[in-house]
Amino acid sequence: MSELDGVPKPEELLKIDYQPPRKGWMDTPVNFKPGTYNYPAASKNHKILELPFPREWSPMEEDWKLPENWKEIVVNGIAERLSKYRSFKVFMDICVRCGACADKCHFFLGSGDPKNMPVLRAELLRSIYRKEFTAAGKVLGKLAGGRELTPTVIKEWFYYFYQCTECRRCSVFCPYGIDTAEITMIGRELLYLLGLGINWALEPAAKCFMTGNHLGVYPHTLKDTLEFFADDIEDITGVRVEIPLNKKGADILFVTPSGDYFADPGTFTCMGYLILFHELGLNYTWSTYASEGGNFGLFTSHEMIKRLNAKIYAEAKRLGVKWILGGECGHMWRVIHQYMDTMNGPADFLQEPVSPITGTKFENAKSTKMVHIMEFTADLIKHNKLKLDPSRNDKLKVTFHDSCNPARAMGIFEEPRYVIRNVCKEFYDMPENTIKEKTFCCAGGAGLGNDENMEMRLRGGLPRGNAVKYVQEKHGVNRLACMCAIDRATLVPLCDYWAPGVQVTGIHEMVANALVLKGEKERETDLRGEPLKELEE
Amino acid sequence: MPIITYKNLKVQVDDEGYLVNFEDWNEDVACAIAEREGISHECPLAQEKIDILRFMREYYKKHNSFPLLRAVCKNLHQPKNCTYEQFPDPIKAWKIAGLPKPTTEVFAYIRHNS
Repeated sequence: MSELDGVPKPEELLKIDYQPPRKGWMDTPVNFKPGTYNYPAASKNHKILELPFPREWSPMEEDWKLPENWKEIVVNGIAERLSKYRSFKVFMDICVRCGACADKCHFFLGSGDPKNMPVLRAELLRSIYRKEFTAAGKVLGKLAGGRELTPTVIKEWFYYFYQCTECRRCSVFCPYGIDTAEITMIGRELLYLLGLGINWALEPAAKCFMTGNHLGVYPHTLKDTLEFFADDIEDITGVRVEIPLNKKGADILFVTPSGDYFADPGTFTCMGYLILFHELGLNYTWSTYASEGGNFGLFTSHEMIKRLNAKIYAEAKRLGVKWILGGECGHMWRVIHQYMDTMNGPADFLQEPVSPITGTKFENAKSTKMVHIMEFTADLIKHNKLKLDPSRNDKLKVTFHDSCNPARAMGIFEEPRYVIRNVCKEFYDMPENTIKEKTFCCAGGAGLGNDENMEMRLRGGLPRGNAVKYVQEKHGVNRLACMCAIDRATLVPLCDYWAPGVQVTGIHEMVANALVLKGEKERETDLRGEPLKELEE
Repeated sequence: MPIITYKNLKVQVDDEGYLVNFEDWNEDVACAIAEREGISHECPLAQEKIDILRFMREYYKKHNSFPLLRAVCKNLHQPKNCTYEQFPDPIKAWKIAGLPKPTTEVFAYIRHNS
């Protein structure tokens, strides 16, 4: 197990106090406890992204060095967003505080802090909206749920809008369908107007503009890395795969998160893509410019979403591909499926995606021209285009974590399960209220996957960890499959902590293990280089 | 910025202990940082460790980024988890190799992956 500096042991963390404080929430000040908040963004990253008021500051200090007219900036910022986003106005007005969302948030369940109830997290902003923008709030103040905008409110926003992973589980249960993630997003945008951001969200966004991807991998490094994978694949399968890079006139542009080619276990899934595309003889290409599927704009501002997303489509146009295939990423799919079309679309310079192997038209991607690899692969299996030997995954007992965004923003539930069931024999779903649209978050998405926030991540990871532990104890599950690069980084410490012994995998790693290639040699190991039959201790 | 002294050596590190000048590094500096990080009190460091550090430095010179850890071990003909085995945390290895602090996302992908 990895060393988790300063995090209490699980038995300690489980002593969760659900007793609310004696005073009302407006009178309970925020307490920045180490391990539960995120470090501010370095001023250099603010500058690279041309965000206002770059400076060095610390949440632990009394003075956050706010600009002189900070109050005016925030109130104007709210006004601008109320006029721009009808949804925001509705979400501010419509909540009746019924409490249906209260116990649906993983951060509330794991911390017991009432301000992590989605309703109360939204109230942090709604109270200012009432005071500044409604007649009742202006006149009656606190009686009408309004409160003064003070620096303490800003501190509270910074703490709690970065204790929300924008996973949208609460929205599933809201009778009005209030999308609390969008409230968090607006809250974060307002903070950025004051130069208050977190480094784990801004640094990857800045790197994306400078090198093409979040992890700062340069074009020649990406080439070297993919060639290293090709060598490894040849050692394991005896088959040499090609690495098409920046190939003009390819049919398909393939885009995946940089985590997939940066660190294990994502790298095994990346090898899986290479193997699958080779076997299909797909005319596709990687790009060193659009070498990032993820979009940390989603955790920063609407404008940043648009700027980062535009790179993928600019590259598709430059290379002259027909359509785009996207890898196993999470939040990338919320951007593609719910924002792209109105921000940068319609992508009418591309063609409606058709699988060159099966002829299937992906009607759902008619407008964005971007297909999820799980739909692509499930379609291949359905049409019997892959020769699969699931016994090569016999040592695995698998469960599947629905990543929040593909699940709740796309409704992609059955395709991954269909693929998994076809490539391995033992698959066990976690309990019904913890999967599919009710899936519990990894607690490290939306920019929160950093080490300084580890206690809060593990608290928020408790509901997911608990469900993994359940199938581990009941069915002997030893692999947690997921189709998201952030998950492949954050679920590793989560499992080590809450369900030790369960390893994390991407789905195309398992696909490629089972896939019988033309001309392959007898496989002795899986893509991890481990014997096919038994899990290494 | 702090200066660390070791035997008759003096080198500058940043507030978190990362070497400031790439060119200041040698095997004695590695010993000094390793001792400071509580990884090793031996000097010189074991050859396997030195090989990893030198590989990381070469990689950094060429790519300006954190290496694919499997590639480090494969190239050096060491066991596939060599960086975790030799330095429980590969980011410590990076630091002992005299390289600048990696980005926060690199930490998230690397630190907990043994």
